[in-house]
Amino acid sequence: MKLKMLLAATAMVLANAATAQELTVWDWKSGDPAAATYIEAAKKEFEAAHPGVTVNFVMQPHDQYYTLLGTALSAGSGPDVFLVHGGAQAKSRADALADLTAQSAGLAGLADFTADNGAVVALPITIQGFTVYYNKARYTEAGLDPANPPKTWDELKAACEAIKAKGAVPCFAMGNKEGFGSEFFVSALAASMLTPEEQAAFAKGELKWSSPKMKAILQAWVDTQAWGWYEEGANSMPKFMDEYEMFMRGDAANTIGLLSDVAHWKQFDDMLGAENVGAFRHPAPEAVVSGTDGGPMLPLAGGIGYGVNKAGANAALATELVQVLAAPGPIAVFAADAGILPANPAVDTSGLNSPTLATILPWTASAAAPMAHSNSSPEELEELHRQSQLLLNGEVTVDDAAARMDEVQAKAHGG
Amino acid sequence: MTVGKEERRVAFLFLAPALILVVAFRIVPLIWGAQLSLTDARGITPGAFIGLDNYRELVTDPAFRDSISNTLLLIATLPVWITVPMLLAILIHQGVPGGRFYRAVYFFPAILSSVIVGSIFNVLLRRDGQVNEVLGLLGIAPVDWLGNSSTALLSLIAVQLWATFGMSVLIFLAGLSTVPSEMIEAARLDGARLRHLIWFIIIPTLRPIIEFVAVVTTIGVLTSMFGLIYVLTAGGPGTSTTLPEFLIWIELGKLNRPGYAAAISMVLFAIMAGLAWLQIRIMSRNVHV
Amino acid sequence: MSDRRPGSRLTLWALAVPMMLIALSCLYPMLFALNNSFKTNKGYILDRFGLTTDPTFANYVQAWTRSNLDSYFLNSVIVTLGAVLCLLVSASLAGFALAVLRFPARKLVFIVILASLMIPVQVVLVPFYKTIIGIGLLNTRTGLILSYTAFFLPFSVYLMTAFYAGLPRELTEAARIDGARFWQVWWYVMLPMGTPALITLGILNTLYCWNDVLISLLVLQDKRTLMVGIAALRGEYTTNVPLLTAGIVLAAAPIVLIYIVFQRRIVTGIAAGAVKG
Repeated sequence: MKLKMLLAATAMVLANAATAQELTVWDWKSGDPAAATYIEAAKKEFEAAHPGVTVNFVMQPHDQYYTLLGTALSAGSGPDVFLVHGGAQAKSRADALADLTAQSAGLAGLADFTADNGAVVALPITIQGFTVYYNKARYTEAGLDPANPPKTWDELKAACEAIKAKGAVPCFAMGNKEGFGSEFFVSALAASMLTPEEQAAFAKGELKWSSPKMKAILQAWVDTQAWGWYEEGANSMPKFMDEYEMFMRGDAANTIGLLSDVAHWKQFDDMLGAENVGAFRHPAPEAVVSGTDGGPMLPLAGGIGYGVNKAGANAALATELVQVLAAPGPIAVFAADAGILPANPAVDTSGLNSPTLATILPWTASAAAPMAHSNSSPEELEELHRQSQLLLNGEVTVDDAAARMDEVQAKAHGG
Repeated sequence: MTVGKEERRVAFLFLAPALILVVAFRIVPLIWGAQLSLTDARGITPGAFIGLDNYRELVTDPAFRDSISNTLLLIATLPVWITVPMLLAILIHQGVPGGRFYRAVYFFPAILSSVIVGSIFNVLLRRDGQVNEVLGLLGIAPVDWLGNSSTALLSLIAVQLWATFGMSVLIFLAGLSTVPSEMIEAARLDGARLRHLIWFIIIPTLRPIIEFVAVVTTIGVLTSMFGLIYVLTAGGPGTSTTLPEFLIWIELGKLNRPGYAAAISMVLFAIMAGLAWLQIRIMSRNVHV
Repeated sequence: MSDRRPGSRLTLWALAVPMMLIALSCLYPMLFALNNSFKTNKGYILDRFGLTTDPTFANYVQAWTRSNLDSYFLNSVIVTLGAVLCLLVSASLAGFALAVLRFPARKLVFIVILASLMIPVQVVLVPFYKTIIGIGLLNTRTGLILSYTAFFLPFSVYLMTAFYAGLPRELTEAARIDGARFWQVWWYVMLPMGTPALITLGILNTLYCWNDVLISLLVLQDKRTLMVGIAALRGEYTTNVPLLTAGIVLAAAPIVLIYIVFQRRIVTGIAAGAVKG
């Protein structure tokens, strides 16, 4: 009897010793006051379910994040869990991430966190997307109806002509210093111009940049510049945050903004006043796909997600932590406090109070299209950044730019 | 000879801490990097040995080629980086009015990190920024300094020069403290003009320091401009402000190709070694030979 | 040492004009940052260039608390002082050896030191990280002190070598003839003689260590340094410039102070009298 008790006691002590662990999470969000309540909620929920385990969130400055992460992973001593952006970054880190397909059921935006071999490598936390936000006062001033934003390419052209004629502000704020302006533009147009099959082909590198459709997008980029849609010096304005600050000051009529985190409905509502901000989906020339209401498509993608370090010592426990980080409870807190669109459809977003958001939300179901640029290779994106700047400056022709993009695309997918 | 033996022993003793740290933390990684440059490593997967393929790819890579031509332009401006701080230091040393104030203030830009400097100049160099405003007062039309391929690189160079010249001034001031003041006095009494003093007395005394500044500035512009480029131009427009160091970061951090990035690093290292050798040959016929 | 020749005096006054302009251009950005640090974020977005209309200290308070500046400040001070001390001692020893002493392979050692200056940092990161972990100094301030010393030594050694090489040989020879051992020559001659260069190095290395973000991020995960805290204020999208500038002013203040206090010592000449004796 005594022996049994002794054995039981020893077992308990050993079990507790074994679970006196610490999990390390790296990200660039946990120090952000807006995300603080979310992190707290997730930490509490996980630690309650796993007594003896503490979670240590290490926040890295965003500029250095991937350098640090890459160094630590290459040296064989990375964190247990880490945050990644959906798209190119998640996919290029796939060899370091554990397969989370089994835990990913029901989440939206998985395509951006799926590696080439089909495995889901991180659980998405937010949904990201592009939509045009517009300043209702500037529309009224230019003689346009603020309740009726453009639904087709021709309507958008006409609107910009009216705004240009008024001469008070440029039609669009455009920040293309890092080339991000072009990314948003390409994805916004591709959403309505490429069929789902063509989007898939593009992601595989089979739909070339010199194909009629992709060339048409590049041509539209050049055309909109020629039509004077943008302010002067677009190539030296950073998209984050100068372009958006320009819009928030009321110095531009439109801007292509995001759905979660930043440059979105919450931020614009704060700065311009909710009654002065509206949203519409970016129309495209030669659109072939449309939403259930006949309007343009909305490019949608997984935003950020947490993944598990495959080589970590606590991979199993870390997997459970990631599930908590993506669970409805903590995510609801995140959505309410930071204004993100959750990737988990089970989260109740009805409490979010914004007329602009109310307009946008239905589109995520009725007009969702893949985000072309986030499915393309990092090399192509780098080259797109450069070529888009040259195109805006008139230093290269569309044909030459497309040809160069083809080369990079071929190399990225084949060689 | 006992003296020689002791001198040797002491010398190695004095050098030991420096050498150990340098070899462990710099030389060994260099060799590791050289090995890495011969593989096609991606992400954290080691990658297979591919010989000189990375280097062959570099030769055909337009971005890399542009970064090299940008480097040549940068190197062509190096004399300015050396002579301007030197002249400023000499003038301060020779008692130009306000010298103490300049001595204090010239260093301030160096205190700011390159990211901060970049953020500030992003605003100042905009089409509607203060620089164009000032130029407007002189009747010059506004220029989009950072958004034009033809002006972006020069703007970048000007900003980096502004941010770092104070350090060179500091170093020259330290060197100037070794200039024998009696020689200067004597020469002055003999009727020497300022520029004679500079050319015949001060500069020769400063030779080792000039060489130091030349070598260190060259290395500095080729290995510490990443932060500034990243914030100011992100390498653009196009590739007009892309330099090899920037490419390394892109290949490593964004495109996740450590092998290729290591190859660029090796080429950069070779360029700097070549330039340093050249500068030392030109400058020093004295000192540590 | 004032010049009585009117010609030279005029030249100097004329040259003072561009020098003053340069000085003003150096001051302007600091004032710009200072000005913005007193604005609210909204105030900044609405008017980036103008003077603050409604100054507030809120940014400074927020920067201090949000970046844990009080504990980070202490870490930065400890690490910087430690590293600068190690750097000055080892650099002056090594510089003395390379510039003055005679020994075989002297040129080779110098080339190695010089070459190590040219190694781009990205090549070094992963092996460096592995080494720090290997010797068990990850997440320790000692580890960071060692790392800074290792990274900034080549520059310091090179400067001390160049400086010592410019000093008259008679100084050290006189001491040796008087029977001094090499340690004593270093302590009684090379250190005092090297003061201008050592102070310069002290200032530069303090700057490098204080401002470093990357190495600090790699080595210290918990007890962070000041500039890391400031860098984190920048966030993913730089949404709050006034907060950031307040942080920058806080972080730059110690360096500015140190510089103003020490920069005069750099220009004082060496005691030329020692040679004549």
